[in-house]
Amino acid sequence: MRAREPDRSGFAEHDGVRIAFEVFGEGEPTILFMPNAPIIHSLQWKAQVPYFARHARVVTYDGRGNGRSDRPTTVGAYRDEVLLADAFAVMDASETDRAVLVALCGSVTRACLMAATGPERVLGIVAIAPGIDLAPEPEAEFDFESTPDTDEGWAKCTRQYWLRDYPGWSRFWAEQLFPEPHSTKQIEDATAWQVDTTAEINLLREEAYGDLVGSIEDAEALLARVTCPLLIVAADLDACQGTAPAERMAELTGASLVRFEGSGHVPPARHPVEVNLLIRDFVRTLAPAEVVV
Amino acid sequence: MSSTLERSTWATEPVEEGFIERGGVRIAYQVFGSGDPTILLQPADTISQARMWKLQVAYLARRFRVVTYDPRGNGRSDRPTDPAKYDEREVVGDAIAVLDATGTERAIVIGLCSGHPTFVAAQHPERVLGIVAFSPTVRLAPPFDYGEDYEAVRDTYEGWEKENRHYQVEDWEGYARFFFGECFPEPHSSRQIEQAIEWALETSGEVYVSCQDGARYLTDLDEVEAMVRRIRCPVLSVWGTEDRIIPRARAERLADLTGGEVVIMEGSGHIAQARQPVATNLLIRDFADRVTGRIPTSATWTVARNRPRRALWVSSPIGLGHGARDIAIADELRKLRPDLEIEWLAQHPVTELLRARGERIHPASASLASESDHIDREAGEHDLQVFQALRRADEILVANFMLFLDVVQEEPFDLWVGDEAWDVDHFLFENPELKRTPYVWLTDFVGFLPMPDGGAYEASLTADYNAEMVEHLERYPRLRDRAVFVGNPDDIVAGTFGPDLPSIRGWTEDHFDFSGFVTDVVPPSNDERAAIRERLGYRPDERVCIVTVGGSGTGDHLLRKVIAAYPEAKRAVPDLRMVVVAGPRIDPDSLPATEGLEVHGYVDGLARHLSVCDLAVVQGGLTTTMELTAARRPFLVFPLAHHFEQNFHVRHRLERYGAGRYLEYATTTPDAIAAAIAEEVDRSVDYRPVETDGAERAAAMLAELV
Repeated sequence: MRAREPDRSGFAEHDGVRIAFEVFGEGEPTILFMPNAPIIHSLQWKAQVPYFARHARVVTYDGRGNGRSDRPTTVGAYRDEVLLADAFAVMDASETDRAVLVALCGSVTRACLMAATGPERVLGIVAIAPGIDLAPEPEAEFDFESTPDTDEGWAKCTRQYWLRDYPGWSRFWAEQLFPEPHSTKQIEDATAWQVDTTAEINLLREEAYGDLVGSIEDAEALLARVTCPLLIVAADLDACQGTAPAERMAELTGASLVRFEGSGHVPPARHPVEVNLLIRDFVRTLAPAEVVV
Repeated sequence: MSSTLERSTWATEPVEEGFIERGGVRIAYQVFGSGDPTILLQPADTISQARMWKLQVAYLARRFRVVTYDPRGNGRSDRPTDPAKYDEREVVGDAIAVLDATGTERAIVIGLCSGHPTFVAAQHPERVLGIVAFSPTVRLAPPFDYGEDYEAVRDTYEGWEKENRHYQVEDWEGYARFFFGECFPEPHSSRQIEQAIEWALETSGEVYVSCQDGARYLTDLDEVEAMVRRIRCPVLSVWGTEDRIIPRARAERLADLTGGEVVIMEGSGHIAQARQPVATNLLIRDFADRVTGRIPTSATWTVARNRPRRALWVSSPIGLGHGARDIAIADELRKLRPDLEIEWLAQHPVTELLRARGERIHPASASLASESDHIDREAGEHDLQVFQALRRADEILVANFMLFLDVVQEEPFDLWVGDEAWDVDHFLFENPELKRTPYVWLTDFVGFLPMPDGGAYEASLTADYNAEMVEHLERYPRLRDRAVFVGNPDDIVAGTFGPDLPSIRGWTEDHFDFSGFVTDVVPPSNDERAAIRERLGYRPDERVCIVTVGGSGTGDHLLRKVIAAYPEAKRAVPDLRMVVVAGPRIDPDSLPATEGLEVHGYVDGLARHLSVCDLAVVQGGLTTTMELTAARRPFLVFPLAHHFEQNFHVRHRLERYGAGRYLEYATTTPDAIAAAIAEEVDRSVDYRPVETDGAERAAAMLAELV
C-alpha cells in the first residue's frame, strides 16, 4: 500500500509517447521529483512524496521506458533532448508553472538543462549524487562490449550479460548502489523497479546518451548557464558516481555541498529522513513568505 | 547600584562604535561581528536603550553583522528635552543615518514596539532586506484602553493611572517599575524587570515626557494602512499572548497587509527577546537565513551506525573543583565505555586543567563568553554575592547556551553532561524541544539561599529562583535523564526552598541520585605521605602550610592577608614553610614578595600537595576543603562574604565531617591568622571519613545512558 495516493494522475503526451505523471497535495511551491528512467520509475521517491505532499505540491513522473509510461523502441526516442522536452511536457500537463527540482544521478543533468533553457520555470535544484559529465568516468573493469570468461562481479556490466540475465544484472547493480549494511529492502525495491523494464530499453538510452551533454566541456558550459539556487549532496560510498562530479559542481557554482558519510549512491532511499529535512530547509530558503515557522 | 553604563561584563564587544548627529542630537551606535547580512536592532523609545537586545547581540554577531544604537534620550545618546527632537519621523532618519555611518547598504531591520521597522521599510525599501517587528506599535488597530489619562492631575496614581505626565516626572522609578511589571507578566521575571528599570533610570521623567510630547507620525488608520502596504520586503511579525502593551490585531494586521508571517508566542509578554531569548534568537536567525537564502555551506552528515560514540561535557568555570571532579568521573566513564570520545565545552580556568590532562577541548570553546571574568568583576574584597552574580550573568548564560546549541545542532553527541552548567540546564528547561540527547546534570548543592543582610527582597528572589527550579522539574521530569548530587543526603542543608516550597532535603532526595564526594586523589597512608612529601620536595622536619584560593580570581585579598601574616606565623612556628599558590587567574608576580615565602602560579595536581601538607589556608569552595577533609589535613577556611554556597552549603557539609576552622576574612587580622596557623598546624584531626568511590559511582550512572 502506498503511504499517500496521488490527488491527480494523468499523462503528458510528447512526440506520440505517453508520460505518466502524478500530483500530490497542493500549495506552493511545487516540488518536481525527477525520474532516473528508464532504469527505474517514480516510486524511487516514495520516501519523499508523502512528507512533501503535506507541506507543498509534489509532482512525480515515470520517465519514458519504465513505470506506466510508454516504452518506445527507437534510439532517437531516448535522446537527451527528448527527455528534456518530456520534463517540460509534464510541467505543462500538470499545470506547474514553476517548481523546485529534486534530482538524483543522471537526472541532475536534466534538471540543469531545464534551469538553463527555462530559467523562469525552475526555482532551485537539489542535486543528489549528481551524474553530470564534470569528471572523467572511472575505468570499467570490463569493456561493455566484451565477453569476460566469468559472470561474476563487474563482468555483469556487459551488453551480452544484460541481454542474457537482466534480473541478475539488476540485482548486482542494486547491491552496488546500497553498500550500507541492512539495506535488503532497498536492494529488493531497486531490483524490482529495474526489472519493470528490459535490457533492450536500457541499451537504447545508453546509445542515445550525450546529444546535449556528453563531455566535460558541455557540462561546464551548461552549469555556466544555471543561475538558480542549488543544493548538492555527495555520498562518500557512491559506487555509481563517486564524489568528484558533486565536488566539481559545487566548485563551479559556489553552491552548498552537503556530504553524506557512510552513504551509498541513493541517500533518498537509504537515509530518507535526513534527505527530507535537507530538501525542506532548501525549499524554505526559496519561498520565505510562504512558510510558517 | 552602579550605572549600567559603567560597563558590566558583556558577552561580546563591539568592533566599532561612534555617534551620528542629526539636528544637534547625538545618537550612539555600535557594530558587532562581521558576517552577512547586517541586522539593525532598533531601540524602542526613551524608556530603554540599545542594551535591551543584549541577549541577542552575542549570538547574532557570530553569524551576522549586528548594528545597535541608543534611542534619543537614553543610553549614550543625547537627552534633549525639546519635544521637537522626539518627532516620530526622526525614527526613520536615525535608522538610515546609522546605516550610512556604519557603511551598511542594506540590512534586516528589527524593532520592538515603537522601534518602527515598518516606517523604515516603507520609506527606504532599497535599504531593507526584511523586517522583524516584535509587538509593533503600528497603528493598524486601536490601542488597549486602560482608562488612563495622560494629563490628569491626581493625588495618587494607581495602576494605569501612572501612565501620566505628572506621575512620570514625580516618580520616574515608580513608573518604570509599574510599566515593566506590565511588560513582564511571566512568572520568574525579576531579573528582566530589574534590568529594564536600571536602563530606564539612566534617563528621567522629564526627558521621557518630552519624548511623549513629540509629534506622532501617521495616526490615521487609512494612512497607516497605505504606508504598510508599500512594504515589499519579507515581514515577520511577532506577538505574545500575554502582551499588555500592544494588541494582537496590530501584529496580525501587519502580517496580513504585507503578506508576511506572524508568529504568536503563547504565554509571552511584551518583551519576548528578554524573557524568551532562545526562541527569539532562533526566530531571528531562521528569518535572516531565509531572507538571504542561506543554507548550510559545507556540512557533513554521517550515517548513524558510523558515528563514534561521543559525549559533550560542559563544566562550570567557577573555580577548578568542577573541572577536577569531572575529569575524575570521565576517567572512570572511559573505563566503562572505552570507545567513548569526550569533548569539553569549557573556558578558563577549566581549560588549564583539561590541557594539562590532555583532554579534548571542543574548538567552539574559544567563543564562550567568560563567566570567570564576570565573576571577577562582580567580586569585592573577599566578597562575592554569588547569587546576584549568577542573575547578572544572564547575558553570558544566553550567549553560551546559544553556542552550546550551535555545537549540538551541528554535531551529533550521545550524551550531554552539565556540571553546574547553569546555561545549559536553565535554557533546556525553558526550551525543552531543543533537548535531543541524553542529558546529565551534576551539582554539589541544591537551593539558592538568601544572605541574612539581603533582607526580604533577596529572600523573595532566592525563593523565586528555587520555585522556578521546582516547577521546571515538575513539568519536565525527564528532561534531566540523570541528576547527580556530588555528595550524600546528609550533606544537604536543612530548611525549605522558601515559603510554601518543599523541604530542600526531601525534594533533593526525590529528584537526585547520590554519587558521594568525587575526587581523583586517594588520601595517602602515613607511609605514602612521607614518600609523596619527599617526591614533592617537602622535608620531614618542616611544617608545610599551603595557601590557596583554588581556581578563583577573587582570592587575591585573602592571599595578601595571609602573606602579611607570614612573618608573625614564622616566628610562632619556626619550621614553617609557607607555599602560596596563586592559581590560574591571579598573577603570582602581582603578590608582594616576602623573604622566605614561596609563591607559585598554577600548580597541576595541587590536590596531591594538599594531601600531604601540615596545614592549609583556603577559601570556602567545596572541592579544596573536601579534599583536605578526605586527606585528614587541618585547615583554615575563609569563605567569601555573601557567597551563600560557601557560607551555608559547604559549611554545613564540613561541619558534618567535623573539618576545618572557619574564620571571617573581614574581621580577622594578620596576627590572628598567624595565631590560628600556630594553633592548627599540629592539630590531630578526627574527621568523618570521606568515600573514595564517588567518581566510579557517578560514572556508572552516566554509563547507563551512553
